[in-house]
Amino acid sequence: MADGNTITARGIPAAIAPPRAGTLQRLARRRSTLAFLMTLPLLAVIGGLVVYPFFYAIELSMLNKRMTRFVGLDNYVFLLGRETFQLVIFQSVLFAVSAVIAKALIGFVLAHVLHTLPARGQRKWRGMLLVPWVIPPAISTLAWWWLFDPSYSAFNWLLAGIGAAPVPWLGDPGWARFAVILVNTWYGAPFFMIMYLAALKSVPDQLYEAAAIDGASAWQKLRYVTLPMMRNIISITVLFSLIVTFANFDIVRVLTNGGPQDRTHLFGTYAFQVGIQSGDIPLGAAVSLFMFPLLAIFAIFILRGVSRRTKEGL
Amino acid sequence: MEGSRITRRGALLGGAALAAGTTLAAPYVHGQTTGGRLAVGLWDHWVPAGNDAMRAIVNEWAQRNRVDVQLDFITSVGNKLLLTIAAEAQARRGHDILAFSTWLIQDHHRLLEPVDDVMGRLSQKYGKVNPASEYLGKVNGRWHGVPATSGSQYKGSEARIDLFKQHVGLDVQAMYPAETRLGPEAENWNWDTFLTAADKCNKAGYPFALPAGTFSDATDWIGALFACYGAHLVDERGNVTVRNNDKVRQVMEYAVRLFEHIPSEMFAADDATNNRALISGRSALIFNPPSAWAVAKRDAPQVAEQIWHFPSPKGPVAHYVPHLPFFWGIWNFSRAKSAAKDLLEYMSQREQVARMVDASVGYDIPPFESLTDLDTWATVEPPKGTVFNYPVKPHHNATPGIAYAPAPPEIAAQMYAQGIQAKMIARMVQNREPLERTLAWAEREIEGFRRG
Amino acid sequence: MSGASMATGAPAAPAYRKVGSLRRERRWALIGAYAALAVFVVFFLLPPFHMLITSLKSSAEIADLSGNPWTVSRPTLENYWALLTHGSYPIHFRNSVIVTLCTVAITMLISIPAAFALARMRFWGSTVLATGVFLTYLVPETLLFIPLFQIIGGMGLYNNMWAMVLIYPTLTVPFCTWIMIGYFGSIPKELDEAALIDGANHFQMLWKIFIPVALPGILAATIFAFTVSWAQFLYPMAFLVSSDQMVLTTGIVSDLIRGDTFQWGMIMAGALLAALPPLLVYAFLMDYYIAGLTAGATKG
Repeated sequence: MADGNTITARGIPAAIAPPRAGTLQRLARRRSTLAFLMTLPLLAVIGGLVVYPFFYAIELSMLNKRMTRFVGLDNYVFLLGRETFQLVIFQSVLFAVSAVIAKALIGFVLAHVLHTLPARGQRKWRGMLLVPWVIPPAISTLAWWWLFDPSYSAFNWLLAGIGAAPVPWLGDPGWARFAVILVNTWYGAPFFMIMYLAALKSVPDQLYEAAAIDGASAWQKLRYVTLPMMRNIISITVLFSLIVTFANFDIVRVLTNGGPQDRTHLFGTYAFQVGIQSGDIPLGAAVSLFMFPLLAIFAIFILRGVSRRTKEGL
Repeated sequence: MEGSRITRRGALLGGAALAAGTTLAAPYVHGQTTGGRLAVGLWDHWVPAGNDAMRAIVNEWAQRNRVDVQLDFITSVGNKLLLTIAAEAQARRGHDILAFSTWLIQDHHRLLEPVDDVMGRLSQKYGKVNPASEYLGKVNGRWHGVPATSGSQYKGSEARIDLFKQHVGLDVQAMYPAETRLGPEAENWNWDTFLTAADKCNKAGYPFALPAGTFSDATDWIGALFACYGAHLVDERGNVTVRNNDKVRQVMEYAVRLFEHIPSEMFAADDATNNRALISGRSALIFNPPSAWAVAKRDAPQVAEQIWHFPSPKGPVAHYVPHLPFFWGIWNFSRAKSAAKDLLEYMSQREQVARMVDASVGYDIPPFESLTDLDTWATVEPPKGTVFNYPVKPHHNATPGIAYAPAPPEIAAQMYAQGIQAKMIARMVQNREPLERTLAWAEREIEGFRRG
Repeated sequence: MSGASMATGAPAAPAYRKVGSLRRERRWALIGAYAALAVFVVFFLLPPFHMLITSLKSSAEIADLSGNPWTVSRPTLENYWALLTHGSYPIHFRNSVIVTLCTVAITMLISIPAAFALARMRFWGSTVLATGVFLTYLVPETLLFIPLFQIIGGMGLYNNMWAMVLIYPTLTVPFCTWIMIGYFGSIPKELDEAALIDGANHFQMLWKIFIPVALPGILAATIFAFTVSWAQFLYPMAFLVSSDQMVLTTGIVSDLIRGDTFQWGMIMAGALLAALPPLLVYAFLMDYYIAGLTAGATKG
């Protein structure tokens, strides 16, 4: 409290005519009360609808199947010993990491390409490229699924047109993993594109002009001007997308339901299958909770970097 | 589906229009603080007419008894029904009556009002309930749900008459004619004949669309196949019986041979993949209720005319036909239990059952064997009598079965949800794992389901 | 743009050959850009295009395997017509609009003051809170909906679309607050010092200075909140049962898929109509968003 207040309080006296310490302190106290009140709705929503249910879920995950007995960490230990669950951990990491990398790269390339276009043409292209992001994914995934259907696949129809063999899009474990990642990339890349485009536009032109005067190549401009300026946006977007992709539910649920042979299950879908479909809610909660430490370490790492850079920037 | 709400005024008007005497027959409606309010969540039928018929039945009952009924039709698509049940069980509020699919009576029986009284009266009238429904609806000898007609289905053979004649040399209409007798070939309709037929149809370019994923269409027919061979992974007392089980080996070896003739994408199939294969004319046989035929009738009439329904094949040990029963259950936190019971009993009467079967073009299956003689199944067309043999009838000498029975339902439900049998087959066929490894894997998985 | 102005403005005397090579380089860059765009536009628009084609077909034509799935031989609007005149699609659409608008409004009411307080008025725990807000995303929906059954049930909001207005902000508020902390943080400190000298209180400062200056950020947050609440699937799936309470995403799935029978034409039509509002929001607001950004850049 003291820390935050003194920093700002120190800045003001220079401007305001001789202040007395008492008023300043009172002002500071009143201000922090006010600030607290302004964050209160946020705290209420997060506390009541995320934090409290989260702790309740932790409690749930330590009960037996019938929810009558406390079993401690038994559910977690049990899960770690299961082949299927080990597979789920591996697949979730594979899915999230490859999809996020693909989305970030595509988004970055598209943002750059759009940025070089003249302003007039940009709007049209931008509009078209945003389409995947605006169709509710639960429905657009249905459309993809229809494109992958063994009997009616429009992709296989095209392949047949050039004489290629039909692809078992969702029937073969390898192809099914590819399909799931592909659809997630398709849906999420436009989000990266907008975020990066906004970030690109906020890089002052003067910086590029200065770099150009210094004789920087396009690659050097990207490496020493663009990337450092966009670092925070890139970190936040990647972090957000990674979390959401990790917890993805809709896409796998609709496309493969985890199959074939559990080879496309993610934490979310596996938790659903164990918790709701097999009726073991505590075990399902434990599956979901496994995600938390994995991502929390990563998130804290990134967020610390971001806030450090923000402070330096100020 | 839109929820239909019968307003109190509407119900009163209707009640007034009916003879005043009928209202006296329902004493619980009056003088109770809860009033006569009933919230009912029923399975959203795949035929819109199925919902209409159901709504009419419930409305009649509501008017006769002067009860306000709120009726919701809840789809089972995307596990909506499953989620709704889980939600209401956790929240301890919601509907009074809810539809419960397959295993959910077992999962939630602690929260479900016993309905032995209703079932007792119904059994007196209509005789025995089929064994699969009894296994799923009874917990510790007490009924916790009333087996529902609406939504209950068999998944017998749904096959192409022309393709079977041409490529297999088998006249399925003669084998299972639309009369209460078996044709000459029916005696030989076993899994070995089936294998030959699968081979021939596959070679002719019309492979059987037999799903082997984790959806219920796959689980149900594979469960029946295992049961036909007497291959149980877990016995009645809950012992894992995978190792050194010759019957399990036998059925696995059979399955591997069978899947040589099944397209590999069927390992990722869901409950609609097989339908589409049949409707599009690419497949000669699927195991399904007549929904595929009904869609074909609308979208591909030339295919529908060639579809015939009959039981799935028999095995060396038994003849099980896959059955997927639905139930109606009453939450024990409901405040209108007696009204709810009365409605369920009303819905289970022969006249009401006949209306549901008729509206669903024969799809719905009543739990009582004595009710499988309704006219609808004989008259539906084209071709006439196509669904005559869709319900398991006494002369079929077959048993409606649910996959993984007779294992204790707590274990069976998990094996069912995880599709263990299908995954065993997939391991051997897709991954080319040796039998021993597959069996060891299955044993480890099932051991995990035994914890309480 | 800056490149173009440099190419014309910077070289005063030195060899104009260099200018030519710059131009040629630029032209190649543009061609490359359009090629890349074309590739991705095809990839991004292939499924929506297929959806559009399918939505114009009758169910018999969809079921017919001999036809070309990428073209339509007898286009019909019957799917759209059936969707808009029969069934509950219009009700679901209305519910989606209500829920989304309310969610966006609530999100803004929560996020803007909170972001302002966290960015500018430091207090005990504010830095931790600013970072921690983002961590709420670590708790996935697939975990939360089970405990939420009891909370929502206890409030008597089970099977009530207003429950969505209550829950959705948990998905939108953290990210929106984060965007806004960033924008508020980038506003020069001199501005609020000047305002304080003028005797403005904190609310006036927020209302008169921060909100107008941070408008691009607020718009970005609004767009985000809109998209997320419009597309939510799991929560409405878990909490809404009656058809008159359902929103679009779940309504399409539960009305147009009957058991193992899919009404593809209507599903596609419904999905495309459902994509319209967000598309309009983007088309309309993105320009303000960009304009606001450049305006902010010139001011700073």
